[in-house]
Amino acid sequence: MQNGLIITLPQCDDATEYLTYYSKFVTKEAEKKGIKTKEIHDNELNLKDFIKIIKKLDYNFVVFNGHGTTNSILGHKANVILKVGVNEELMKDRIIYARSCNAAVSLGVECTKNSNGAFIGYIFPFVFYMNEKWSTKPLNDNVAKLFLEPSNQIPISLIKGNSAKESDINSKEHILKNINKILRTPSEPDTPFIVEGLWNNYLGQVVRGNDSAKV
Amino acid sequence: MSGEKQEISEKIKQLVIARIKAQMPSNLKLSMGFENSLTKEEMIEHVKAGDEQGTHIVNMHLNFIKALTSGKLMKEVNSV
Repeated sequence: MQNGLIITLPQCDDATEYLTYYSKFVTKEAEKKGIKTKEIHDNELNLKDFIKIIKKLDYNFVVFNGHGTTNSILGHKANVILKVGVNEELMKDRIIYARSCNAAVSLGVECTKNSNGAFIGYIFPFVFYMNEKWSTKPLNDNVAKLFLEPSNQIPISLIKGNSAKESDINSKEHILKNINKILRTPSEPDTPFIVEGLWNNYLGQVVRGNDSAKV
Repeated sequence: MSGEKQEISEKIKQLVIARIKAQMPSNLKLSMGFENSLTKEEMIEHVKAGDEQGTHIVNMHLNFIKALTSGKLMKEVNSV
């Protein structure tokens, strides 16, 4: 296995558009640290191509952006690219961050069985609010930023050399700081909804497998 | 007993719906990892329907209220 980052970047709806835009910060950090990166876009986000890429590049760090279930992660639209009972053994000994709903419930457990790897993900749906005004310019959306910056903290922290557990903690601290920031500014109508969503992600974020694992 | 549970659950749904109706700005959309992000009206429809998305919206609300009233939320926030 070699050092490198594989990152999935679907753009099939507004949510995945946002995740893909915000992933630029992750790939920029990887570039800064000289980590080889393979971006997988919609045309390759199907099971066959995903398996081919993982086997060929054999990079040790994988970031999934995309919809998920308790036992799978999707690529482009409804294409499953990782699933229990299909190809989870390909994740053995790798470090994975899955920005996908519920994937840590079963998939995360199975991916880290008999493995030195780690799986950071969510046991509930990962949520974020977006301000519709900025739907075509996600990076200007200060509401979505409150959710996606702490989430980005996980892969960025791993790239900087922190362990899975340290990266999880760094991200959660960022969530709490964002909650604190919103609560301290004059109350807006969206405040309780944003805080509720951030708290959801805080509660739902877990590390499976080897929490000392590093990229 | 299960009938009572259902009634309480209906009450909670109505509370969540009322809160969304009264307080949520119309320019916000919620992404929950399902196909499309939800507008305020769509969130209300899902809560009414009691489907997977609606159930999670209600659970988010309940988890938040529990954390607020128990002091856990502010304890965690003040720890950083």
